[in-house]
Amino acid sequence: MSTPTSLRLSRRAALEGMAALAGASALGTLPVWGQPADKKIVLSTWGGDYAKLLTKHISKPVLAPKGWEVVNDEAQVVQRKAKTIAEKRLPKGTSDIQAFTATDVAEMTALDVLEQLDLTKLKNAKNVIKTFSIADSPYFSPHIYSGKVVLYNPKLIKDVPTGIDALWDPKNQGKVGIVDIQHVYTTMAAALVAGGKTGDFEKAKKSLLELKKLKPRFYPSNEALAQALQTEEVGLCIMWKARAVQWQNAGANILTVAPKEGLIAYVSGFTIPKNAPNRDGAYAFLDAALEPSVQEGFAVDMGYNPVVGNAKVAPELKARIGFTPDEEKLLVNPDLEFMAKRSAELKDFWDKEFKRA
Amino acid sequence: MTASAAADSLVSLAAREKRGGRLSTAAMLIGPATIFVVIGLLAPIVILFRYSLNQFVPGKLMVEALTIENYVLFFTDPYYTAALYRTLRVAVIVTALCLVLAIPLAYRLARTQSRFKNLLIMLVVLPLFVGNAVRAAGWMTVFGNKGFLNVTLQSLGLTTEPVVFMYTEFAVIVGILAVNLPYVVLTLQSVIEGIDRAVEEAAFSLGAGPFRMARRVLLPLALPGFAAGAIFCFILTMNAYATPVLLGGPQFVMMGPLVYVQFAAKSNWPFGAAISFVLMTVTLILTAAANLLVQRRYRS
Repeated sequence: MSTPTSLRLSRRAALEGMAALAGASALGTLPVWGQPADKKIVLSTWGGDYAKLLTKHISKPVLAPKGWEVVNDEAQVVQRKAKTIAEKRLPKGTSDIQAFTATDVAEMTALDVLEQLDLTKLKNAKNVIKTFSIADSPYFSPHIYSGKVVLYNPKLIKDVPTGIDALWDPKNQGKVGIVDIQHVYTTMAAALVAGGKTGDFEKAKKSLLELKKLKPRFYPSNEALAQALQTEEVGLCIMWKARAVQWQNAGANILTVAPKEGLIAYVSGFTIPKNAPNRDGAYAFLDAALEPSVQEGFAVDMGYNPVVGNAKVAPELKARIGFTPDEEKLLVNPDLEFMAKRSAELKDFWDKEFKRA
Repeated sequence: MTASAAADSLVSLAAREKRGGRLSTAAMLIGPATIFVVIGLLAPIVILFRYSLNQFVPGKLMVEALTIENYVLFFTDPYYTAALYRTLRVAVIVTALCLVLAIPLAYRLARTQSRFKNLLIMLVVLPLFVGNAVRAAGWMTVFGNKGFLNVTLQSLGLTTEPVVFMYTEFAVIVGILAVNLPYVVLTLQSVIEGIDRAVEEAAFSLGAGPFRMARRVLLPLALPGFAAGAIFCFILTMNAYATPVLLGGPQFVMMGPLVYVQFAAKSNWPFGAAISFVLMTVTLILTAAANLLVQRRYRS
């Protein structure tokens, strides 16, 4: 069968066409996939439930109707931090949004890789509650918050704990679990137990070495600790209240207490890398994340508290995930300046002295 | 110039052109792979080595310098040298166990006349279809406090309390062994298949028993191949990452995860690069030494 004349393509014409296509793609004038490049937002975030919920509550219902396509780039925070740092020299990075916690932001701000935010582009920014010092950071738009509570299994821990110091109680020896990736917040908690502030590293070190004598069990991740709680390998730890609520929902026999020493605030949110390819898209995402409907969705599905004052959370749910006025008085902010300057030193101490068998 | 001299020079010219043609064909054939290796491996190694001579200043990531302080830190800090010794120990144990387990299996596979031979080889290859992390997750269900192993021990009345298997060196060795074994079996099987069955039969006909035949005939002939399998296993273990992290836990530090922590968790690229080079150099030296030793033994 002969090819119709109109469809016949000489080798030269095909090569010219391919060259033109490649050139146009390189110049960014053609979409590589799906939406045009200027309507695509690359969201770099943790994977798992959090990423799924970002799609469920932000990407699909809020941004898609406005023509935005959000592409998730999912990885652990350490990998994403390393990638953002590695891309610092490039004129165009590969992500428009990086999801970080407050302590990550402090570290990344010191490395000068984040864009200073223009809050006039965020109509919802005025609703952000000013409980957290990180909310004042010009590089960070908060999304959700929780607090570090004492979590215990009432079957294994007979005396109801009142503070983080329960982990240091010899009566609880062999029942305490520590999560390796929570080294920053655990060190801050140790500083509070020693009567210091979250950035009192010297006090924290002494305190952690005391805890080491009681031989706590180390777990690589929150999930590994959850499994150990489930099998009753351990029965006492410190954990985000939101996580505790998730594990309670999954049937774990655990209770939580707001520690007398202080509730270390966990705030996670979004930043824009300095070399983000699509700034307009990035700002659209930040603003969408502060929508009351989004904030309410995360409270229901994930147990984290809204960071905006106009979100409405049902009283029963608020009682489970939130904090009473008295507990709110216990909220303390992480020492971000300390994190920016001494995070590597902290990790060294954690690995070489505290964690080392 | 005589006619014969002219003819000779024409012949040598033609021979040179033929040689030149063969060389250019060879260059074209090996060119793409060479370029790929240079760009994808050698260039990053050179960059990494340059990084390892820089200084780390918290908050600044990397400061340009020409210093060996990162290497000095590694060899003077017992935490890091302990990680290196631990990695070497695990690599040697896993390699030895792999050989012990792989040799009989590979021999049987190589010599079997069964029509199911391909199926048996597929069974050996099958674990490679599952990723390391997934396999480690499987081992976690075996080694946990309420895992298969502990439940079995307790139901048999051998133990009353759970035995700690998870986050131990034992768990890491078993996990890496399971990952590496198929590679070693396949390497050894192809080596044994290359040895003529007649030489074994000759040994038997001269009165040698199976062990004597294996020691005096099979082993010397297969030694270079066995060494290749062992070196392969050793290198894989030295650079293991997922299994030590998932089965070794936070307190069992091997070199692969140590490199990752320096780069990703501490943003200390110069030291991470230095550790990478120490790991690479130690692996290369030991591999080369083993190779030399085997070659000398083989020749003798």
